Amino acid sequence: MNLRRTFAISRRIASGFRRDHRTVALMFVAPVVILGLLGWVIRDQTPAPTRLSVVNLAGPVGERMADALANAAADAGLEPGPGLADEAAARAALADGGVDLVAILPASLPGDLVAGSPTLRVLSPGLNPTDDATRLATLQRVVAAAASGQVALPSIEREQVFGSADGDFLDAFAPALVGFFAFFLVFILTGISFLRERVGGTLERLLATPIRRSEIVAGYGLGFGLFATIQVAVIMAFSLGHLAVPAIGPLPAFTIGLGIHNAGSPGLAFLVTLLLALGSVNLGIFISTFARTEFQVLQFIPIVIVPQGLLGGIFWPVSSLPDALEPVARVMPLTYAVEGLREVLVKGSDLGSPTLQLDLGVLAAVAVLLVVVATLTIRREVA
Amino acid sequence: MNSDSAPFPAIETAGLTKRFGRITAVDSLDLSLPAGRIYGLLGPNGSGKTTLIRLLVGLARPTSGTARVLGVPMPSRPNLARIGYMTQADGIYTELSVWENVRFFAALFGIHDADRLREVLEVVDLADRRNTPTLELSGGMRRRLSLACALVHRPDVLFLDEPTVGIDPALRVQFWDYFRRLAGEGSTLLVSSHVMDEAERCDELLLVLHGRLLAQGSSRSVVERAGATDLEGAFLRLGAAEPGE
Repeated sequence: MNLRRTFAISRRIASGFRRDHRTVALMFVAPVVILGLLGWVIRDQTPAPTRLSVVNLAGPVGERMADALANAAADAGLEPGPGLADEAAARAALADGGVDLVAILPASLPGDLVAGSPTLRVLSPGLNPTDDATRLATLQRVVAAAASGQVALPSIEREQVFGSADGDFLDAFAPALVGFFAFFLVFILTGISFLRERVGGTLERLLATPIRRSEIVAGYGLGFGLFATIQVAVIMAFSLGHLAVPAIGPLPAFTIGLGIHNAGSPGLAFLVTLLLALGSVNLGIFISTFARTEFQVLQFIPIVIVPQGLLGGIFWPVSSLPDALEPVARVMPLTYAVEGLREVLVKGSDLGSPTLQLDLGVLAAVAVLLVVVATLTIRREVA
Repeated sequence: MNSDSAPFPAIETAGLTKRFGRITAVDSLDLSLPAGRIYGLLGPNGSGKTTLIRLLVGLARPTSGTARVLGVPMPSRPNLARIGYMTQADGIYTELSVWENVRFFAALFGIHDADRLREVLEVVDLADRRNTPTLELSGGMRRRLSLACALVHRPDVLFLDEPTVGIDPALRVQFWDYFRRLAGEGSTLLVSSHVMDEAERCDELLLVLHGRLLAQGSSRSVVERAGATDLEGAFLRLGAAEPGE
């Protein structure tokens, strides 16, 4: 391995970047903008108001219960919906958006109460499962509060083993996204960059010099690895950092950075992401063998990237995947990077954690395997 | 190096054959080309010129037979340090400047001497363009840059695959003057072309068709032997005498 030739390749990649401002923007600005947007939406979204109507079909017995429900609902911050006479009116009101949730006290309520199994029928629009689930959970609290007229219910005081109690969805989501961005953008850049080597005749020319194939692969790894490093540093600084900017003149006060709760060492998270990016560089080189144009490289996104994004544990835990898909997720490098990043940033694990050891081991093995595969696809004898 | 002191021919092939499936691109070629001369590799498109050059550079492996450059059997990675190759495509990085391109290829040959880079850019008349992004160069300038990248390590043997395609006549003359100078300094040049009027400028011609050597010799001797009046006529006559595909 001749280091100067390897560095020459890396330097060439860096020089190309320096002139290509758009690509630099794609690598550094795009992930920050996307994460920033995501953070903004998740943290500052206005919760949809819940208008609750209670329909009493149970006569005077139901009347008391309906009043208790309405009072408890008002205490829980729900808005009262319009008065509705029967189920048909309730369905019509839900259909035209006049009400968000309807609780029906059925005619059978008095008998059920005697039998000891009273039932409350609830109607919701079913247009947005997430909203419905949130509203239903609220209603359950309201029902419990209404029923606790006599018996005092214990209030819940929550504490988490990992993360902070005031943490939100973003705290678990952002670490996974850091890995995804590094993987995706590095793959696209190397894939296209190497395709241009093959198509533009520079690879042919490169191979007519005394350079070794391994030096080309190492040079690419180093060149793009450097940019992946800076990219990961930028994304991490944005995710973990939190800089409050006070109001200046007409500008309102705002904050830069997501201030993600971070339990572990950013250095370890860095290592996980870098190993992933190194695999990604070589995956890009390998994939470029099967493409003839830039567009054909992009066609590999739905095949190579999207399944990993869906199954890699970013959105759903890998263990909850269908039985047939779990083994698929278990052979994808992104799965281990996501797991490793959460292990470090959320759980605060260090190198002593067996999970993290496995993640790092798998990522390193995948990187080595892809280095070998990429080297083999660069052939002096191109038929 | 020149032909008197060279103990072996600069380029030598024995029974060199390359097949792609049923197509024979290079067909049992025997060549022995002394150093210090300009060889013109002539033939129509698809006659096997590029394949022959790729075999000699070691980018392709022969199906049978051998190819030696400077006495070393190809493919040989270390031997590439003494070989220059100007590809048919420009083979330069459009996102880099002129200087960065030359510097990159020089570094691959272990050359880190800025004087040499300036010198080679001087030769191809791009010295005042060194900081221009390659994307902004004209087609002819890109050809010149491509040549500079092939020359930067002072190769003993230079393979040029259609170097003058798509460039204007003035630049073509300039290229050939430069090729002559290199040969005078002892380099061996193998220049492929399908432009017959360039043949006059070569010391020796190699006429190939369907991967076979039709004729070898100076332009005049090839024409005379074929009983034709010019090179194009010679080509047609010699080609007609060959059993075609």
